[in-house]
Parts: sequence; C-alpha cells; structure tokens
Amino acid sequence: MAVNRRKLGALLFALIATAAAASAAAASHSSTPGVTKNKIVIGGTFPFTGVASLYKTIPAAEQAYYAYVNAHGGVFHRKIKDITLDDQYDPSQTPGQTKKLVEKDHVFAIVGSLGTAPILSTWNYLNKRKIPQVLVATGDAYWGQCVHHKCPASKTAKPWTLGWQPDYPGEAKVYAKYILNNKPGAKIGVLYQADAYGQNYLAGLKTGLGSHKSQIVDAEAYNPTDSAQVIATHLVKMETKGANTLVIFATPQPTIFALVDRTAIGWNPLTLVNNVSANRLFELAAANAQPGADLNGIISSAYTASPTTQANLKGMKLAKKIIAATGNQQLEQSLAEGDANIVYGLAVGWTFVDALEHAGKNLTRAGLMKALRHLNESGKNANPFIYPGMTVKTSKKRNFPMEQLKLIRWSGGKTGDWHSFGKLYTGIH
Amino acid sequence: MKARIPALASLAAVAALLCVLPFTLSDYNVSLVAQVGIFFVAVLGLNILTGYTGQISIGHGAFMAIGGYTTAVMSRDHNTNLVVTMVMAFAICFVVGLLLGLPALRLSGAYLALATFALAVSVPLLPLQWSKFLGGRDGVQTAKTVSNVWLYGAAWAVSAILFVLAWLILRGRVGRAFRAVRDSEIAAVASGIELPVYKTLAFGISAAYAGVAGSLFVLATNGFAAPDEFGIVLSLKILIGAAAAGLGTLWGVLVGAAFIALLPTVSSSVPVIGSSHGQDVVFGAAVILVMLLLPGGFAGLLTQLRRLKRA
Amino acid sequence: MASAATSRLEGLRDRGAALGGVVQPVSLLLVAAAAGLIVGSLRSAIFAQLTVQGLALGAVYGSLALALVLVYRATHVVNFAQGELAMATTYVAYQLIKWGLSYWEAFFATLAIAFVVGAVLEVVLIRPVLHRSVIAAVIVTVGLFILIDGLVNWVWGGDFKFMPSPFGTKIYHVGGVSIARLYPGMFVVVIVSVLLVWALFRFTKLGLGMRAAALRPAESALVGVRVEWMLAIGWGLAAVLGAVAGLVAEPSQFVLQPTLMQPILVYAFAAAVLGGLESPAGAVVGGLAIGISLNLVVQYVPAITTELQTPLAFAVLLVVLLLKPSGLFGHREVRRV
Repeated sequence: MAVNRRKLGALLFALIATAAAASAAAASHSSTPGVTKNKIVIGGTFPFTGVASLYKTIPAAEQAYYAYVNAHGGVFHRKIKDITLDDQYDPSQTPGQTKKLVEKDHVFAIVGSLGTAPILSTWNYLNKRKIPQVLVATGDAYWGQCVHHKCPASKTAKPWTLGWQPDYPGEAKVYAKYILNNKPGAKIGVLYQADAYGQNYLAGLKTGLGSHKSQIVDAEAYNPTDSAQVIATHLVKMETKGANTLVIFATPQPTIFALVDRTAIGWNPLTLVNNVSANRLFELAAANAQPGADLNGIISSAYTASPTTQANLKGMKLAKKIIAATGNQQLEQSLAEGDANIVYGLAVGWTFVDALEHAGKNLTRAGLMKALRHLNESGKNANPFIYPGMTVKTSKKRNFPMEQLKLIRWSGGKTGDWHSFGKLYTGIH
Repeated sequence: MKARIPALASLAAVAALLCVLPFTLSDYNVSLVAQVGIFFVAVLGLNILTGYTGQISIGHGAFMAIGGYTTAVMSRDHNTNLVVTMVMAFAICFVVGLLLGLPALRLSGAYLALATFALAVSVPLLPLQWSKFLGGRDGVQTAKTVSNVWLYGAAWAVSAILFVLAWLILRGRVGRAFRAVRDSEIAAVASGIELPVYKTLAFGISAAYAGVAGSLFVLATNGFAAPDEFGIVLSLKILIGAAAAGLGTLWGVLVGAAFIALLPTVSSSVPVIGSSHGQDVVFGAAVILVMLLLPGGFAGLLTQLRRLKRA
Repeated sequence: MASAATSRLEGLRDRGAALGGVVQPVSLLLVAAAAGLIVGSLRSAIFAQLTVQGLALGAVYGSLALALVLVYRATHVVNFAQGELAMATTYVAYQLIKWGLSYWEAFFATLAIAFVVGAVLEVVLIRPVLHRSVIAAVIVTVGLFILIDGLVNWVWGGDFKFMPSPFGTKIYHVGGVSIARLYPGMFVVVIVSVLLVWALFRFTKLGLGMRAAALRPAESALVGVRVEWMLAIGWGLAAVLGAVAGLVAEPSQFVLQPTLMQPILVYAFAAAVLGGLESPAGAVVGGLAIGISLNLVVQYVPAITTELQTPLAFAVLLVVLLLKPSGLFGHREVRRV
C-alpha cells in the first residue's frame, strides 16, 4: 500500500523537477536581467478582461509601436519584446502577475502598466528590487510626488516609478476653472471611483474650486464593478440634492453607464468627463447602448492628437501606417473610428524608445531611469503622437513628463466627435 | 499498528522532499510550491468541518480575508512580527468561527451552503465600506515583505504543525464525536454527544485554520491585502480542494491543495489553452470530472488502487 | 398503500396552496407594502422612478430565483451555476442575432436551446452524483460555474458587446417622472414567462407529473410517472426561466458582458430564501421585494451605501434562515433522519 504512495511522491517529484529544469533553462545569464545582445524583454499588466477591458487597445498599440521599431532595426540592434499579462484592473491580481514577469520572465522593466490601484499594489515590490516601473498608465500625482521622499501614498521614496500622462488633480483643476468661468453658480454633483484614483481627482477639483468648493452639493463614490443600476442610484441622489452640473471621474465602463443613465432618468446637467474616458469610441458606445445617451455639449480634455479630427497630421498618418502593419483589422478599425487609447499607446511606446536611445548601448536599469528623468521631447525630437505644440519633458525639478491639456467638447450627436477649443493649459498640477 | 509504519514512512518521504525542494527549484517555482502549502492549510481546515462533521461551508474565503487583513493591518499600523500576526489571525478567526458556528447550528445542507455563501460574498465588501481603516479598493500594504523562501518555509512549517494538531484532535474523543455528528445527528445525541458544542467547535477550528492560510496568502502577494483577493472564487476553490482531496480523510489533502494551487498555473502554460480563460475551462472541467469519476476524491482513488492490487 | 396515496394527494394540495393562496399575515403585509409604494409614488417623482426600476429589476431577480426553486424542488440541489447558465444563453442569443435572426426569433430559439442544455446537464452531470450527497452536487454546480464562465470568455471575449434592445429607446415622461420603456417592458416579459410556467405546472398532466415526481418520487414511479424524465424537464424549465432573466437583464445593464448575472444571482439567492426555497410564488414575490426595497433603501437611508447593498441582502437572508428557515411562503420542513 505504501508503494502507491511512494509512486505518487515520485511522480510529484518528477513533475516538479521537470518544471524546475524548464524554468532554469529559460533564465537569462546576462548581467542586466532581460537585456541580451539582440533583445530587450519588458513587461506590463493590463486589463484585457473585466471592468476596464476597454483599455486593452493600449498594450496592443504599444506592441505595434515596438514591432515597428524592431522592423526598422531595433534600438542598438536590440529587438524589444513586450510581455503583457491580464490583471483585470484588479489590484489583487497585479502582484501575482508582476511577480511572474519579474521572477519567471526576468523582464528588464515594467513599462506602461495600467491603473492607480494596481500600481500601488506593486510599487513597493518593484522599488525594493530596483526594477523600473515606468510610463505607468495612470495620472495620479503620486508618481511625481514620491520620487525623492515619502508622500501621502508611501512611507518611503519611490524613485523607480514614473508616470507619463498629465496628473489627475491638475486635470481636475482645469475643470474647476472651466465651471467657475462658464457656470458661476453651478451646483456640482461628482461621481468618483472609490479609491485613490477617484479621491485624487475629487481633491483636485476641490482645490481648483477654492472658496467655491461648497458648490459641490453631492460627491458619490462608486466601485468599478458596479452595475448600471447602482450608477443610476448615485445620479438620482445628486439630482435630488439639486445638482445641475455633473462631473464624472470614472473609468470608461462606469462613464458609459453614467452617460446612458443620465439620459434614461431624464436629467440634463452640464456634464464634464475625465480624460481617461474621453475616447470617441466610448462615447459612441454610450450613444449606441440602449436607451442611448445624449452627448452634445459634454466637456473633457485631451493631450494626444485626434486620429479623426486631426487625421492629416504627420503623426496620425504614421499611426495609421503602424497599426495597419500589425494586420489586426479590429485595431485598425478602432483607430479609424477615433480610439484615443491607440494614439496614447503609440505615444508611450515612442517615449520609451526615446529613453532607450538616450540610455545608450550599455543598457542598465539605472541608465534607463536616468534617461527617463531627463526627457526632452520637443522641437525636432517632438513626440509625433501627442497634441501638436505640447512637450514631454522631465528634469531634476520636474517629475511629470506631461503638464499640458486642451479642453474638448462633444458635438454632432450619435455620430459626432470631440472638438478642441480654448487655450492650451500649461503647467497644470 | 502495522499499517501505521508505511504511513509514517510516506509522511517522512513527503517531508524530506519538501525540505529538499527549495534548493533545487527556481525562485518562482518555490513560490508556487509555497502556494500549495497555503492551500494545504485552508483545505485541511475545511476538511475538518465538512469532511468530519458534515457541515458544508462555501464561506471559507471570508475567514481567509479576516486572517489576511489581520496580518496586513497589524503589520501596517504596529509593524508587528509577521509570525505573531499569524497567531493572532488563528485566534481571531477561531473566535469568529465559534460565533458564526452558533447560528449555523440551526442550518444544514443546502441552507447552510447558502448562508456561508452569503458570508463569502459579504465579508470582502466590508473593506470598501470601512475604507479608512481597511484601505478600501487601494488595499493594505504590510510594513515588511518576505522572500519566496521565507514564505515557503513558513507555509510548510505551519502546514506541518497544523497537520499534527488536526491528527491529534481527530484521532481522539473529539474526532469520534465529530464523525458521529456527521453520520447521524440524532444517533449522536442519543449516545450522549453534546451536539452544539462539537458543531461550533468544528466551525471554530476550521475557521482558525483558514485564518492562518489567509495571513500566509497575503504575504504571498507581497504583503498586499485587497478585497478582491478574497472573492467568492477563493471560497469555491477551497471547497473544491477539500472535495478533490476526499472529504473525511487527511491523506488526500496534499493532492487536493496541489490540485487547486497548481492546475490553473500549469494549464496556463499549455499553448492552446494558454489564455487566462482557457485555464478556467480546464479547471471547471477538471472539478466536474473529479466529482463524477472519483467519488472519494484522491484519497478514495488511493484506497481503490490498494484494493485492486490486493485482488 | 392507501395512506401513501392520501398523503401524496395532500402534499399536492399543499403545493397548490403555496402556489395560489398565500399565508394570511404575509398577504396582509404584502398589501400594506403595495399601498405604501403607491402612496409614496404619488407623492414623489423620484420615489416613483425608483419603484418602477426596482420592480423591473425585482422581476429579474424573481425569475432567476424561481429557476433556483424549480431546480431545488426537482433535485434538492442549489444550482450555483444557474446565473452563469443564464448569462451563457444570453450570449447565444447575441450570436444568433449576429447571424441574422431578428430579436424575437433569437429570443425564442434561445429559450429552446436553454431547455435542452438544462435538461442535458441534469442527466449528464447532476444525476450521477445526486444519490451521493448534497455537497457533491453543489460542487459539481460550482465546477459548472467556473467552466461556463471560462467558456464564454474564451469564445466571445471578456469585453462588452451590444445587443439591440427589444424595448427601444423610448422614455416616457409622466407627471415629472421619466421612465424608460425598458423597465415596464422587462417586467411584462418576466411576469408573462412566470405565469406560463405556473400554468404549465398547474393545468397540464406534465405539470402534475413534475410536481408529483419532485414531492414523492418513489410513489410517483409506482403510479407510472417517469420520475427521471420529470427531473430533467424541471432543470430544462429552470434554464428557460434563467434565459428569460438573462435576456431581460441585458438591456437593463446596457451592455452584454460575462459578469452579467453574478450580482443578480446573489440577489436571486436572497429572494429564493426569503420566499422559501420550495415555494415558487415566494421566489417571485421575494425577488420583487428585494428589487424594490434595495433601490429605495439606498436612496432614503443615509447609513446604507451602495457597498452595503449586497451585505444587507444577505443579512436579510441570514435572518430569514434563522427565524423562519422555510421562508415567508414555505412550509416547515420535517427533518429526516
């Protein structure tokens, strides 16, 4: 009888040993993990499925850009390999997936990972191991505030983490300015996500309103997994409290729900949507979902060029070419319909390659960080995918690569588009 | 007595194997085998409740949440030694388990399944409600994190201690009482067993085991506790692990724990089903097949093999 | 033998009572609640809006709860996969529409498919473990939950899809109340389906056979009822009700995604327990009660935030289980040795 058990034990041992041998063979032997003579392996976590899966064109666009660079000889003859894993925008899955990237795939850096809570759940781990966690797809001020010293979100400095897009509190301040200038007595209802991402936006709005912050008559927190009904409950509450202006600080899916709910309950306040949900595709989705959202006059902001209204820009033509080269027809169609996230992904890819070029031939993790902390994408070296006239820049004093925004407004109803207006806001945050 | 010697020998073999593994495996695979240890503790705990007293629980993820948050919050606020937080998780979950075991006295079968399901769904929502203290969606980060080898050692040391503890409890008077309760409550009462005492005790012990597992579980995610880690799927996994192990036996627990800890990872590296949902398909199908083909779980399979050999 | 036959008849009469007539105090309570809702709706537009929405959602919870009850009565199994099954059948409808069927063609085709799938699942997966233990059957349904969820994600992807709404985009404005046609539409579709199922049970020979098979399998077999067939048909009908729930829940969520039924299943459990796991009428009333009260409570009780909605539903579930395990409509179950 014991023989069977021993056999089982032996079997178990054999299984595990095989797995161990396989992974040992895959381990790299170069001094800098993930970097060999002809390859750079990077990784990132993204929501391919789940509540934030509308963002999944971002990693696809980044990979498309790396493929384009690889096809043109790579960076110092090294081809970029980008391993992307699904964390479902769920901060409890990000640590496991990041661990896999670091300990199993031995990536050189984590590039572009998405979401405030997912980043917060992994930045301790990555900073402790001195692994770059860069160009993260979230605009919280932490990524700029926590570089050298402790900050509200962390007891220790986080020099290995870097953001990219304009920061959320700064963006919220721009909206506050807009409301004060255009609807002075507005009674504001805020729908925000119940986590650091939403709270930072809300705090920024309050700072921006200053002495007028009492005009916020109701701030309602939602959870990303909330259904359309729960979102509707929040809107009804705001309406009953007398709000006539709705500010939505939400990820795409809840934003779509809120826009449709707003129409379904017959409420028509001045509405502002945060940048991460201002993507023509999402607004079209809201208009086409039943019973259909009424979108005209909604305000938001942009910092990437528009593939629809600015299709003639050099950068947008390049974008079309790069995406066409992937052979992914769905991605191509998304871009043609105005998916701002594809442009975003290309722009981030551009900045990463820019930094790799400046980091030089002897690529190290510290070298990459140094290059990323001294970005200067302007003039001849301007990032072709961002809004014309804006710059991507970092320095000793500046830890936010992007600090500019342009307001946009929706017109044209169910087949409409975002159109930019007004001045270029600079030095936000 | 004679039968016990080979049993002890195989136990020693497993123990020896576990001691050698960290030296031969890559860091990542060490963390995988540590996961097996963590689920071993949780499945062992559920097995005491469901397997030995016949009370079903789909809510053990909730106890893991309580244990996990105990570790995370104590470490964040007081920088408490992580091993101490595990003991605290054990104690707190024991008490919570006893308290929840009282209402469970009135329920059985499908009704108990639903009540514990309610627990599994509701408890992870509480950190969202009390987000100041429990971190909300942003989670709680421990002050200290541990290496994979530390985790491996801790998980298997805890497993060994709790396995021996379970064995001591179940071989004696308490174990006999548990089994009597499972086989027939009325007969058990008739033979003088205090039903409420033993049923709640089983709940308490089982919850305490899950609590420790939860605390290790949080350490395995780099010391980060967040509500979704303890979602309903976790509770279902533990139940599946216990069923696959073979309810009412201790020997299958190792295989049951490996089944739930490793199957998703292993199947994700098979090319065709490599997507994150391919592994769900494999896992779901495997669960159903095990239930249909192995009535006694893996432990039952061993017994059957033994019988075949004899015949 | 005679006594067995008598008790069988009595049992059937009991069931009839549970379906038709309602226990006295409970019916009084329901009338009072309905009156309260009407008065409230007349006084406040928001209240009316929330009530109509709650009614529509409650109908969805109720129809899924009824599916759970049918399965429980037939096989004494709590089917954890009921919601995922409903979600998967909704994807089938999505696919059929994509292949060119009109909405209502796809609707009825999906119901037929759901029936077959439900019955086959009972025969292939549940029957073999049924004699073993409640736990074994529950775990099989749990495995099914994971399997279906994975399959749908695998086949259709996790991102959301758009389906045409059968109810159009019209929004009614009645005395300051805005109500999308969607909500009354949902309510009507669910209630009609529930009534049809009820009529099937009440007035057809098949229905009688099914009730008999669920209640007294051994005696039913003696009088010539094909018990095994009846159980499979019970599962099939439950899947049909689930499919209806999924199909009307989809427009209320605006989009189709794999998580469609997960929150709904949670409330359906609470509804089924509230009404009594064995009472079909109770399940529907329980669903409506939970739908309306959750919608109103969150609006009018400041301490109850949306985070507490689900725990609250379960607190109700637990209290009912402890105080009156047979539910508001059920009959006390005699514990068998």
